[in-house]
Amino acid sequence: MTMTSPAAAPRNPVSPPDAAASLPELRGTLKIRNVSKAFPNVQALADISLDIRPGEILAFIGENGAGKSTLLKIINGDYQPDTGTLSIDEQALSFSSPRDAHAAGIRVIYQEPEIVPGVDVAENIWIGELPKRMFLFSRLRLNEQVRRSLAEYGFENALPMNLLGDQLSSAQRQLVEIMRALKSGVQVLALDEPTSSLTDEEVDRLFTLVRRLRDEGVAIIYVSHRIREILRLCDRIAILRDGSLVAVKQASEVTEAEIVRLMVGRDLSEVFQRRPAGTDHEVLRVTDLHSNWHRGVSFHINAGEVVGFAGLVGAGRTELAKVIFGELTKTSGRVLVDGQEVSIHRPDEAIAKGIGFAPEDRKREGLVLVRSVLENASLAILRRLSRFHFVRGRLERSTVAGFVERLRVRTPSLDQEVGKLSGGNQQKVVLARWLAVKPKILILDEPTRGIDVGAKAEIYHFIDDLANQGLGIMFISSELPEILRLSDRIYVMQNGRITGELTGASATEEAVLGLAMADQLSALPTGAATPNREGSIL
Amino acid sequence: MSDNVTITRTKSPVKRDGALRRLIGFIGADNLSLMFALVVLVLLVTVVSGWFGLSGGNRFFSWQNLWNSLAQAIVIVGLLAVGETVVIIAGALDISIGSVASVGSVVAASVLVGVGVGTRLASLLAGSVFFAVAAGIIAGALCGLINGLIVTQLRVNPTIATLGTLAAFAGFAFLLAPEGKPVGVLTQPAFTWLAQGRFLADAPIPPLGGTKWTGIPVLTVIFVIVALLIHILMTYTDFGRAIYAIGGNATAARLAGINLSRVRILMYMLSGGIAGLAGVLLTARTTSGNPINGTGLELQAITAVFLGGAATAGGKGTIFGTFLAVILVGVLNNGMNLLGFNTFVQRVALGFLLIAAVAISQGRQARAEHVRTRIAAQD
Repeated sequence: MTMTSPAAAPRNPVSPPDAAASLPELRGTLKIRNVSKAFPNVQALADISLDIRPGEILAFIGENGAGKSTLLKIINGDYQPDTGTLSIDEQALSFSSPRDAHAAGIRVIYQEPEIVPGVDVAENIWIGELPKRMFLFSRLRLNEQVRRSLAEYGFENALPMNLLGDQLSSAQRQLVEIMRALKSGVQVLALDEPTSSLTDEEVDRLFTLVRRLRDEGVAIIYVSHRIREILRLCDRIAILRDGSLVAVKQASEVTEAEIVRLMVGRDLSEVFQRRPAGTDHEVLRVTDLHSNWHRGVSFHINAGEVVGFAGLVGAGRTELAKVIFGELTKTSGRVLVDGQEVSIHRPDEAIAKGIGFAPEDRKREGLVLVRSVLENASLAILRRLSRFHFVRGRLERSTVAGFVERLRVRTPSLDQEVGKLSGGNQQKVVLARWLAVKPKILILDEPTRGIDVGAKAEIYHFIDDLANQGLGIMFISSELPEILRLSDRIYVMQNGRITGELTGASATEEAVLGLAMADQLSALPTGAATPNREGSIL
Repeated sequence: MSDNVTITRTKSPVKRDGALRRLIGFIGADNLSLMFALVVLVLLVTVVSGWFGLSGGNRFFSWQNLWNSLAQAIVIVGLLAVGETVVIIAGALDISIGSVASVGSVVAASVLVGVGVGTRLASLLAGSVFFAVAAGIIAGALCGLINGLIVTQLRVNPTIATLGTLAAFAGFAFLLAPEGKPVGVLTQPAFTWLAQGRFLADAPIPPLGGTKWTGIPVLTVIFVIVALLIHILMTYTDFGRAIYAIGGNATAARLAGINLSRVRILMYMLSGGIAGLAGVLLTARTTSGNPINGTGLELQAITAVFLGGAATAGGKGTIFGTFLAVILVGVLNNGMNLLGFNTFVQRVALGFLLIAAVAISQGRQARAEHVRTRIAAQD
């Protein structure tokens, strides 16, 4: 992978540590000056100037799309800035690839580092630069070196050397990547969302390492969504919004609420709250449903109601949606739509009965990424748009354009490939498809997952709006605050059962959590598809 | 309703650009590069070959060569490729089409002359060109139905399923032919007209390259019509949309209410029916319903589809692209014939052409992937 090429572009030799330091900045400060970067239709970064100082942990924080990743990629040499400069100690840096950045002592550790599966830890660390003696690779020397450096940082136990690449956990993969950086004398180390898949214990260990590196004089960039974590670990915090640097704060002088306000650009109190509504007309009733995933589930949804489904991952909520939609099969139980018993075996039958389903995993289950916004949005109503099987192009375009406008999908054109839109806009395309169907019941499975706060708010308004127009909405979410704010009623599921129903004042975070975990010790139903992931509470 | 959000831009930027951009958008960048490759290839054959002392290139632009050699040579593989395009866009594969063409060839000939399986029908239909052609197409479609049922009902991987039926249908074609021997149709001029007939043979068109105007072969016209019909099917109908959606993401297509089994069965029947038609035309060209008529044609057809820009993963590709690719392969073979290269050299060239085509398409996909990750990075 990282073979050394002698013909590489100008290297940036690190200046000797004893050189006269006449500047006020610390030696080895990475100076970012007036960096801008635009992509088609998006100004990803606008005029960013920032110092990244040795011996300091600097956090980058911001919503999705704020520009954190783009900035990291510029630092790592993945992208080149349109304007602006990077420099260390008067030495201008111009990277044409990550390898140039590595040579200058800069390393970005991404969430999923490149690990060679069939190769052990030591070789993975030294990949591309295996120590040689007389052209022969010396395993003895390699193992010795790696053992020494692991011991130095206290990772002998956390990262056993005999493990192969594909046996490593996420935490261990990150450690390998960090060891790679350390062995080549890193000056600036950036960590991109390093804790997202770590256990608490692993997080603690990582923090210890990061602090130690800081104290050794490494400049550290720490990118995360977790504000509390950042306040615990970092010295300074750089807050980005819409590609601009809005503020740089000392961690000791700032509160969580203040950071959120700076990130979002408005107070949290503005966040959406639905006014309860709903009618008496039952659009969906499920009685005593049994399946591989469910043991006697009964519930109902009225027209005009948003009904939340809360629970731990693996409680059977997604599967419940899929059983109702005909994607999975039930073993017994009745499903009534508008009071009429229905028998649904396939998604197209569910759609014909007036049920829409926006799945949790947009990319895998929701969208045909290589096709256009137009084709994706009209997919479920093709028959209605066609005459003698010929799709009426103008009708299709005007129908889809209407929903795309209503949902404020930001796309350069209806013919844009859906895969090239941002996550929030992709989700809106899925919603546009189901609105076009004009369903009576709309099942939304984690509709705001992986979407930035702005788009989330739009989707909340939208769900509220739809319910007010008389749709019955089954709203599955693992984010407690949004389920509490948006739902008229909440069913809590656990291990394939509904363990409780909450309304009004009784619907609190504590109540939901209590019901979701009421019976934690009982075994999972046999055949449960999704394993209960530890720690991912709601 | 909140009004504080950015206004959507739904107008296509293409609309604001010049006519040239619109034309490129209409033709498609992929097809444009195929056209460019075609022009380069023609120049290589006609002009550049002369610089290297090869003779024969000057015969390329003659009516004799264009209509009698080139336009007829591409028809059979072209038809198979058009059917295969649909299957490949849907993310599947139909390897059996060569054998299906053999079945179509034997069935059409049998019905026409009233032998073998055709005997019973013969009293009713013997001698009818129409029924012979229809029988060939229907036989092909039935083969396709079998493929479709195996894939959808038995859930066998399409490549394996049609690899199996490739062998099975090849044997079946022999079983259908009386004693496994070819069925001659020389005595049926109305039928062989399909291959030998010419449209506009008497049109007052001046000679080209020293040869007289020959008229447009019926074969070629059939090919163009079929390609056009399938193009319309793929572009303007709900069936075509479903094919693209299934190829791009079958799960998403199913969850959007598309009946995957039905579409897939129809798709294999379509591919089979077209292969059956190709078999009928093979019978007309070779003047016999021969069980080995279609052997090996599937590879050339699949080559043309990938050369035409269809994505190996499905969801992308056009009939027009395949059409251009078929011509490109035709010109390559034809040019090498004219210049006196033997068939072995041609095979080597064709093999490398397939690899080059897929390599280029992979490069293009990698670029598209790059764009996608760039956009994802802004999230």
